[in-house]
Amino acid sequence: MTGRDRVNAALQRKATSRVPVGEIGGGYTELIVQKLLAEDYETGPDAYFQNHLKLRQLLGADIVGARVTGPEVVVTGIHPDWQTETYRDFWGATYTQPPEATVQLVEPIASTPEALVEWTPPDVSQFDKSPIQRWKQDTDFFVLATLNAGFDLGYEILGFERFLMWTMQARDVMKSYFRKLISTNLQLALMSAEAGADGILIADDLAFNTGTFVDPNYLREDYFPLLKDMIGKIKATGLPVFFHSDGDLRSIIPDLIDCGIDVLQSCDPNANMDIPTLKEEYGQQLAFMGNIDVDLLANGTPEQVRQTTKSLIRDARQGGGFILGASNVVASYCQPENVVAMYKTAHEETE
Amino acid sequence: MTNAVQSAIILGNIRSIQDDISNLLDDGILAQTILDEHLLPGMTIVGERFKRNEMFLPQVLMSGQAMQTAIDILKPHLLENPNQEKKLTVVIGTVKGDMHDIGKNLVRIMLMGAGFTVIDLGVNVPSARFLEAAAQNSAQVVCLSALLSSTMNNMKEIVQSFRHDPKLKDTLILIGGAPVNSDFCESIGADGYAPTAPGAVKQIQNMID
Repeated sequence: MTGRDRVNAALQRKATSRVPVGEIGGGYTELIVQKLLAEDYETGPDAYFQNHLKLRQLLGADIVGARVTGPEVVVTGIHPDWQTETYRDFWGATYTQPPEATVQLVEPIASTPEALVEWTPPDVSQFDKSPIQRWKQDTDFFVLATLNAGFDLGYEILGFERFLMWTMQARDVMKSYFRKLISTNLQLALMSAEAGADGILIADDLAFNTGTFVDPNYLREDYFPLLKDMIGKIKATGLPVFFHSDGDLRSIIPDLIDCGIDVLQSCDPNANMDIPTLKEEYGQQLAFMGNIDVDLLANGTPEQVRQTTKSLIRDARQGGGFILGASNVVASYCQPENVVAMYKTAHEETE
Repeated sequence: MTNAVQSAIILGNIRSIQDDISNLLDDGILAQTILDEHLLPGMTIVGERFKRNEMFLPQVLMSGQAMQTAIDILKPHLLENPNQEKKLTVVIGTVKGDMHDIGKNLVRIMLMGAGFTVIDLGVNVPSARFLEAAAQNSAQVVCLSALLSSTMNNMKEIVQSFRHDPKLKDTLILIGGAPVNSDFCESIGADGYAPTAPGAVKQIQNMID
């Protein structure tokens, strides 16, 4: 059974000899790829594809994340505080990466609601869908095309606090902003479907560990109707829709089901999102993916990872609708031996 | 008028809080009284509602802005009063390597609301800067925030730097952020851990009692 078949079978609630296992997006940060492949790590012009192929083969992963890609970032100058390059992405936001720190937004796409009204998203018609085509043609992984919607991308390019405040102070502007982002991402989803994706992942963080960022009623009024429309149009292509959000989503799971999602990914145990419990309540309408705590992969021992993975598979595999993976992506600070332990256990726990 | 100021804090209404505070000052109400009896109780309600998921991040941020506006108006009047009770000073920042600030900002808002003097060092703050700010401001408490499993390990170095400094070794250190927990807190020798922003206020109050 190929990875593609195994994931599809799990989504259709059919029996599989073992649970499918894999990650969303790039899946594994480059440092992890490098550590796990060691001397097999390549650096040539086709390195990304070759390394990620070899890594998935090494681990026995069933899924590959890929996306329609836009133009390269444009270097815009040097940041005065950190002396690091600033660069603008195709959405129009400018960033920099300070030394030994995470990326920092330097200039948002708009600093006033009025400017946001004027903002236009990029024309995606010329974006490159060949990464998806290649994974589909050359491998038998389940190709999960990644894109965004209105929230996660929305606050990344606008700045988190500004985004949140404007949901209160400039509600109509934000609704129109969501419409633009969702419309653009829908185009990317349809391009991904055309390129041969097996599923579409909408990455859209809506929550932190204790609940949603904004009032669920706000989401119901201003956001979910737009998301539902987007998901309906994607599903008309016949593809399943995966939805990624970190955090505690329990107050809005029925809304996400109503929007039409097929798979909920992340399911971070630190946010009370345990797949066995969620399956009991929503397993008929929704499949689940993830649930192995990234912090456990970072700070635990291989034996702890093995025990946790084993117990999760035992409790969540019944009736299908479950894909094992990290509760986010495999971050650079995860221990390679713990990642191996998770995948090895998934392969050992057969029925 | 009490209700008006509290409502303005809870609703995050910057415009009305400016008028309400000015009216109270014009009526001869002491700045300290406005702070203690009007603003702080309003922020306490905000913290409680946030904890119960009755208020969410946008509302809390707006309340924080209203609180800051009110404090800026009151500050010159508070400085005029030599008999005012000295508030405890807390230094707060996100540790080096980490640019995330929403959790730290929420704790800052809650601490301001509880009447602490808060020195916010921002994000990506190196160990030396925490020590310098704690010494300069005679801070009793230092709050360290991190969102990433990679950067939380920088907390250990900061705690050790404080413990090795003869003048600052007794500074109370509180940690918070998604990847940290009480076991980690104990392992690095910090004094307390808070899983939520309102919890941070309570934890600090417990630590200083």
